[in-house]
This record gives sequence, structure tokens and C-alpha cells, in this order.
Amino acid sequence: MKQEARNNGLSRSRRSWNNVLSYLRQPAHIILIVFAVFLTLSVLLPLLSLLRDSLTIHIGGEATEYGLSVGSWTFVHWFQLLFNSEYNYSIICFWKPLLNSTLMALVACLVAVGFGGALAWLVTRTNLPFKKFISIVFVFPYIMPSWSIAMFWENFFKNSTVAAAYNQVGMLEAITHITVPEWCVYGFFPCAMCLGIHYAPFAYILIGGVLRNMDANLEEAATILKASRFKILRKITLPIVKPAIVSTILLVFASSISSYTVPAFLNKNGSFATISITMTSLLNQSTTKGMGYALAIVLLLLSVVILAINSYITSRRSSFTTVTGKSGQVSLINLKKKRYVIGTIAVIIVGFFAIVPLFSFAFESLLAIPGSISSFTWYYWITPDQIETRVAGDSCGILRNATIWKAIGGSLLLSTIVALVAGTSGILIGYAVSHKRGSRFANYVSNLAFFPYLIPSLSFGAIYFAISYMNGFSWLHGTMFLLIIVGSIKFLPFASKTGTNAMLQVSGEIEEAAIIEGIPWWKRMVRILFPIQKSSFISGYLLPFTSCMRELTLFVLIAGAGSIITVVLQNFEISGVTQISNGINLIIILIVIGVNLLVNKVTGASIDKGIGG
Amino acid sequence: MPEIVLKNVTKRWKKFVGVDHLNLSIPDRAFITLLGPSGCGKTTTLRMIAGLETPTEGEIWIGGTCVFDSVSGINIPPSKRNVGFLFQNYALWPHMTAYQNIAFGLENLKWKKNDVKARVDELASMLKIEQFLHRYPSELSGGQQQRVAIARTLAPRPQILFMDEPLSNLDAKLRLEMRTELKRLHATTNSTFVYVTHDQLEAMTLATHVCLLKEGVVQQYDSPLKVYAHPSNLFVADFVGSPAMNLIAAENPKLNEDGDVDFSLKDLKMHFVPNNPIEKMPEHLTIGIRPENIRIVAEGKGPVSKIYSSLPSGMETTVRLDLDGTILTSVVFGIIDFPIGGEVPLNFFGKGILAFDSTTGRLIGEGVLKI
Repeated sequence: MKQEARNNGLSRSRRSWNNVLSYLRQPAHIILIVFAVFLTLSVLLPLLSLLRDSLTIHIGGEATEYGLSVGSWTFVHWFQLLFNSEYNYSIICFWKPLLNSTLMALVACLVAVGFGGALAWLVTRTNLPFKKFISIVFVFPYIMPSWSIAMFWENFFKNSTVAAAYNQVGMLEAITHITVPEWCVYGFFPCAMCLGIHYAPFAYILIGGVLRNMDANLEEAATILKASRFKILRKITLPIVKPAIVSTILLVFASSISSYTVPAFLNKNGSFATISITMTSLLNQSTTKGMGYALAIVLLLLSVVILAINSYITSRRSSFTTVTGKSGQVSLINLKKKRYVIGTIAVIIVGFFAIVPLFSFAFESLLAIPGSISSFTWYYWITPDQIETRVAGDSCGILRNATIWKAIGGSLLLSTIVALVAGTSGILIGYAVSHKRGSRFANYVSNLAFFPYLIPSLSFGAIYFAISYMNGFSWLHGTMFLLIIVGSIKFLPFASKTGTNAMLQVSGEIEEAAIIEGIPWWKRMVRILFPIQKSSFISGYLLPFTSCMRELTLFVLIAGAGSIITVVLQNFEISGVTQISNGINLIIILIVIGVNLLVNKVTGASIDKGIGG
Repeated sequence: MPEIVLKNVTKRWKKFVGVDHLNLSIPDRAFITLLGPSGCGKTTTLRMIAGLETPTEGEIWIGGTCVFDSVSGINIPPSKRNVGFLFQNYALWPHMTAYQNIAFGLENLKWKKNDVKARVDELASMLKIEQFLHRYPSELSGGQQQRVAIARTLAPRPQILFMDEPLSNLDAKLRLEMRTELKRLHATTNSTFVYVTHDQLEAMTLATHVCLLKEGVVQQYDSPLKVYAHPSNLFVADFVGSPAMNLIAAENPKLNEDGDVDFSLKDLKMHFVPNNPIEKMPEHLTIGIRPENIRIVAEGKGPVSKIYSSLPSGMETTVRLDLDGTILTSVVFGIIDFPIGGEVPLNFFGKGILAFDSTTGRLIGEGVLKI
């Protein structure tokens, strides 16, 4: 009775206002609302605008080309792209590149999972020697810019018979006088191999994480029941890590198929057109912008389909996310006599792709004539001369080059801000999602935060490239601010995944104990939750920093000529001043690896934790 | 026949000694429990016998065959030792149904399909899991998972069965039920059971022999009732029995001319009459009294104590009594409760009162305690 009287005493609007107030009293709700609005605006709407761009006529040559007025709606871009048989246009611009990209991505997956997975198994399950060295160094290829391996590949294999490499002598020829055929230097094979090697550490981290968390008793139980070692691997270990393997394959596939930098470096002879390369050239021509946008959508749909398959497979009845148990007492498989043989081979392979490239970049930047030791010179590091006038900005020696150092500063600034924004957002989203776990609103935000991962870097760049041309947004064009927005959103997925996982591991009572004591929200975050999961959260900052520092694909369309170092590097590479592009690459890698090792030493955070190991 | 013998088995990790020169002989068809606090080396011992862990030193023999010898370098892999192993967390393969889990070992032995099915069905009906055979482990409750794990372990009819705290993840009621089942299983399977537990009640109730370990060293290896009645040292006395044994420090113990020990407890004069003469009188003495040897008596039949606490459970009541500053635990049978602070006289009964050397912990005599 009393309760009813009190309810009746309040007006209806007053009551709903009270409900709103008590809803907003929870910080988790505020965070969810803010991110829902922000991510809807920055991820969903641009997608719609991309769709619109593929269906309208743009300013430039398109109006005259198709005889339609600017801004009118049309399917002509899609038709041209998919079904124009004149001069095999669609085949050249779409179907052939699609096939090329798909095959390249498939082979890259095989290499990455085979190599990374095998090494993960060796490190977690056997008494392989040199484990520490391997696990530190093997991550390098992933930390390096994605084209580094491609650049190294070129440096290593180019030779006097390959015209597209200006007949320069590479390391292999210089040392052994072996000249490999052109298909080994440029085109499909090297592209697929380089992508595979770049993503092998990614597979190593994901599969190794599952193997490490997998209860060793599961394998021991099979041993006791007289299963052979091979049968255990086939019937027990592999099926249990299968979800991780499938995830790895799909993530690597999604990243490889849209990779731009590797084909851009290893397609100097123009024989190997991929979707990413075709798309860039379509977007850069005034008459084919609409087709470029249509291609970006195709690329995006491919990734979405792949990731939908992923979530279907990992949610089936017999699958499971993490298997944890009492795995303290792992008995390692004894490789016996083969121990040092396998260990040495692993060290050589890992060292070849993780450490030799560094020397190769240093070396290449010091030789006036590639491959010729006698042409050793510090010229490209110290000369005050302008080496190549086609390059925008300064083109004197690296150490004196104001453009380069300004761009390095720009990249550092960009990466730091992006890391702070993405990492902090990741923690906040993690907090809100873990608190409201299961609610539809939380799922929406958490899916939206992962969505940028599905959007290929190039498409994502293309979306914002289009926006920066729109009325009212032209002030964004070519600014650092645009790069910060794009970077922060693109690198949010892993940060929010790390943040959510870390938050889920902290039991609710810990925060509730502080709530009872009346400690304000921000203080709970800073003084209690953050310190508990410090290393995970810092990993959530480290991954965006690393990714951003070495990123080119995402920024290639939207960055101004001298704004960030990767763009400057590409300019020198395109202009043929490979000594300087090698030198710049070395600097980027050293910065990234240095920061990673330093942060790892000081805080215990690491890139593996950021990915989910 | 599968008698298991361990000779001087030692396991070291760097400087940490897990198991120290363990000598143990497990007779055929025994049900022995390895008992001890966590970290005492019991799981390691089990895993070494099964072959999952390699000892640093020593020899292990199973049924007259040497399966491990650090000197000659023999190390037979676990798959060739003909043993079954039940893991603490069951270790069911999450990607296989219950049926596939149980059948896996039989398939490895190249059994015919029909035989496999017959054996799985037989075990399923024995363990009452017929209706769960098509389910995945994640769809089973803890007790069901445990029964599937037992079925999987039993399927190839191992002659020796190792169990690593298999009941610790179950709730109290199910645990009691499974204990009964395991004991019946032992009686019907003719196998040797080696069972690891930290629960002394489990060890007592199940085993034919209890092996009590502490920091990698065997403290006592005897039948459960012997361990209970005649613990070889203070550690065993304190570890076995619930509620725990009363241990009181005797003040100024002296051996008198009759061979009895006189000592005091604050103002009370007591003397301990040993059943057999004490050979060497230690400097410090600890008297051990089981709760059932302390009884509340009629007025005037003993010194008065205060009720410190009373915990009635229905069948019996555990009473803590404050005897002049010393807290003693006693058990009173029947439906009874005592008010805290109330005064009751108590006395000591039975010939099983124990005397230990406080410094070495060794048992030096058993006898009667008089006030």
C-alpha cells in the first residue's frame, strides 16, 4: 500500500527521469553510450558512405566518361568492375587480381600456420634448446613493417639477370654467384612467402598460447592409454588446438588478401596484380574512383565472410575457447639426439628472417652499387647533396635530412597518441563490456569495436579518403588529426579484446569492495583495476603503438607527403633511392623493437599478450 | 603379479627435492593411499610410478619387471607399463563424446568394433552413464565427468590403477557416494589401486595401506587403523584423525622408580603409566590424547574444566574444554549440547595415550594417563 502511494505521488515523467538518472549513475552505462555513439559514427556511417560512393558519380572525369551528371546514382561502377568484357576489362581489373590475391593469401596461410604452428609446438611441447632466443627473436618479423621481409627478400634474391631490379646484385649472388629466376624475386611466389613469414609469429603466438594453456594431462591420459606419439598429435593435440588454427588461418587470410605493401614492393615487374594494387590505382585515377570504392567493398565483404566463418566454427558444440588445467607439470617430449639438430635448424631459420634483414638493411644503405662491397660508402647517411629531386621534400643524407627526421617525429607522435587513445578506449570498453556482459547493448559495442579489424586497412583508408573529400569535411584532408582518428579506430580491436579479457579476469568482488568503501570510479580504475592487470593493459597500448609505427597501407591514401616516416620511405623506394629507403626501414625497425624490448623489460607487457597469448 | 617396488627413488628439480630416497613396496591387489599435505611429493611419486615423470635416481619395479633404473638407464614409457591413471581434473578430451573418450584406449589396443561397444556399454551401465554417452564433456556435470573418466581408465582392464585426488572436485555428498563405489570397484576388479589424497578421512576409509609423506619423506606406511592407533611420530599423530589429537606439552617430566613418568600441567600433577618400559627418557615430552580418550565424568571423578565451545552435529558433539588454560578436544556421543562457560569435570581413559619426544617427534611409548 505504502509503496503504491509513493509511486502515485510521483508524476510519470519524474519517475522515468529517476530511472534515467540511476541508469547513468553506473559508469559502465556512460562508457557504453559514448562508445556506441562514437563507433556508430566512425565505423558504421563511413561504411554506408563507402557504399554510396560506389553507387554515385564523382567530381572529375567520371561524368564525361559515363555521360552522367555528378552526384547521380548508378550501378555503372559495379558493372564496369564485374561484367565489362570489352578488352577483358573486368578480368584484368577484378577477376584476375581477385584470383591472384586469393591464391597468395592461401599460400601465406599455409606458410604462416605451418611454420608458426610447428615452432609453437616445438617450443611448448619438446625439450628444444635455445627456446628463449627463439621466442624473443621470432616475434621480430611481426613487429617489423610488413614490407620489411619483402624488402629483405628483394635485397637477398635480386640479381644481374632481373631487369626489373635494375640488374642490381643481391646478397645471394654477391656471396654465392647463384642467380635465381625472376619469378623467385618478383610476383606471386615471393609475395606469398613474405606474407607467410610476416604472419608466422602471429600464428606462433595464437597457437602457442593455446598449447601453453592446454592441460598436459589430456595428452598424458592418451599416453597411458597406449596411443602413439603421432596418434596423440593427430587425435588429441591437433583437434584441441584446431579452433586456434582455424582462427589463425582466417585472420591471416583476411590480412593477407588485402595486403598492399608486400605486393607493392615485390611487383616491380608488374606481373602480379592483386586486388589491393588494382584498387589503389583505380582510386588514384579520376575516372575510376567509383570502381575503386566498389572494389573496396568487395574486399570488405570477403573479410566479413571469412570472419563469419570463424565465429561459426568456434561456436560449434564440440569446440571450446580456452582449456585450462593443472599444467604445471608438463613433461616435455625428449627429442633425444635430434634435439640440437632441430634446435639449430630452428635458430638458423628464425635468425635468417628476424635478424639477417636488419643487417641487410644496414648493408644496403651503405653500398652505392647494390651487392658491390667495393662501393661501400656513408654517402647516403651523411651527404648534404640533394640525391633525387623527384622525391617531395629534402633528399639529402638520412642523418641530415630534415624531412626524414620530421616524419619520424610525426610517426612517433601519431603512434603515441593512437596508442593512448586506442589503449585507453580498449580498457574502458573492456570495463563496460565485462560489467554488462551478455547485455545486447554491450555486445553491440564490443562487436563494433572489433569491426574495424574486418575492414581491410586499404578499404578503411579509402573510406576516410572519401570522407576527406566530402563537403564540410575537407578540413580533415591530409591532416594529422585524420591520421589519428583512422589509426585509433583501426587499432582499437586488439586493444579492446585485451582490455575485455583482462577485465574479465578480475573478479567483481575486488571492485565491489572498493565501491562499499565509497571510493570514486576514476580512483577505482587508476588505483585498483589498472595495477592488478597492469601488464595486460600496457600490452593493450603496446600493440597499437607498434602497429601504427610500422603502418603504411592504412595511411597510404590519406597521409600528406612528408607527414609520417613510412610514407617518406615509400617515396624514396618508388624513386629508386633504395639506399635511403633501406636506411629508413632500419631506423623504423630499431625504434619498434627497441620500444618493445624496453616496455617488456620494464613492465612485463609484451606483444604476445596484446594478441591474446 | 603386479607388485610395485620403489627403491631409493629421488626426484629433484634443481635444488628443490620433491621426493627423497623413497622406498616403498606395494603388494598385489592392495589399495594404498599416498597421504600428505599439499606439496609433499605424493602426486610426483604417483607420476613417477606411472612413467609420466622421470625420477632423478632410484629404481622402480612393477610386477617383477624393472621399469626404471637410473643406473642402467632403463626407462619404459608409460604406454608400456600397463597402468591406468585417473587425473584430478579428469582430463577428458573436450572434442570427443563420452563414448569416444571411453573407447579411445580400446581402439589403441586394436579391439574389434563390437568388442569396444560391448565393453563401453558394460562400463556405462556399471557407472550409470548410459544416457550420457553421446554428450561432450562440457555438457556433463562434475560427477558425470568423473564417472566417464573412471570408465575411460577402467576400459582396458588395467592391473594397476593410479588415482590422483579423483574426488577432490566433487561435492560432499557425491564424494561419499563415490568413495563407496571406488571401494566396491577395488573388490570387484582385482587390480592394485594407488590413490593420492590430502584428505585423511578418505585415506583412512578407502585404503588397505596408508603411506604418509611429508616433504618427500615417508613418515609411516601401515594399515589405516594402525596409523591411527600407533602413529610413529608427532606429524602422523597430528595429521591423521578428525578432530585432531590433543597434544600437550608435559612440564618437568621425570621418570620415577616405578618406570612411570611424572609431569605437571600448570598446577595439576599427572603421571603417565607406559604399557612397556620407556628405554630412554627425552628432555621434552609431548603427550598425545585422542578426543575419544577424554570424557566428561560425574562430579568428583576428575578435575573441573570450563566449556570453551560446543559443536553439536547430531550424532556426536565436539566439545572444547578449558582445563586450567589448556584447551582439550573431546567427543561426546548422542544428541547433546553444552552451554559455553559451563563447568564440567573430565578424565582420561584408555591405554592408548601416546608419549612423544618433543624434539625429534618420535613416539616413545603408549600407556595410561592418570591425574
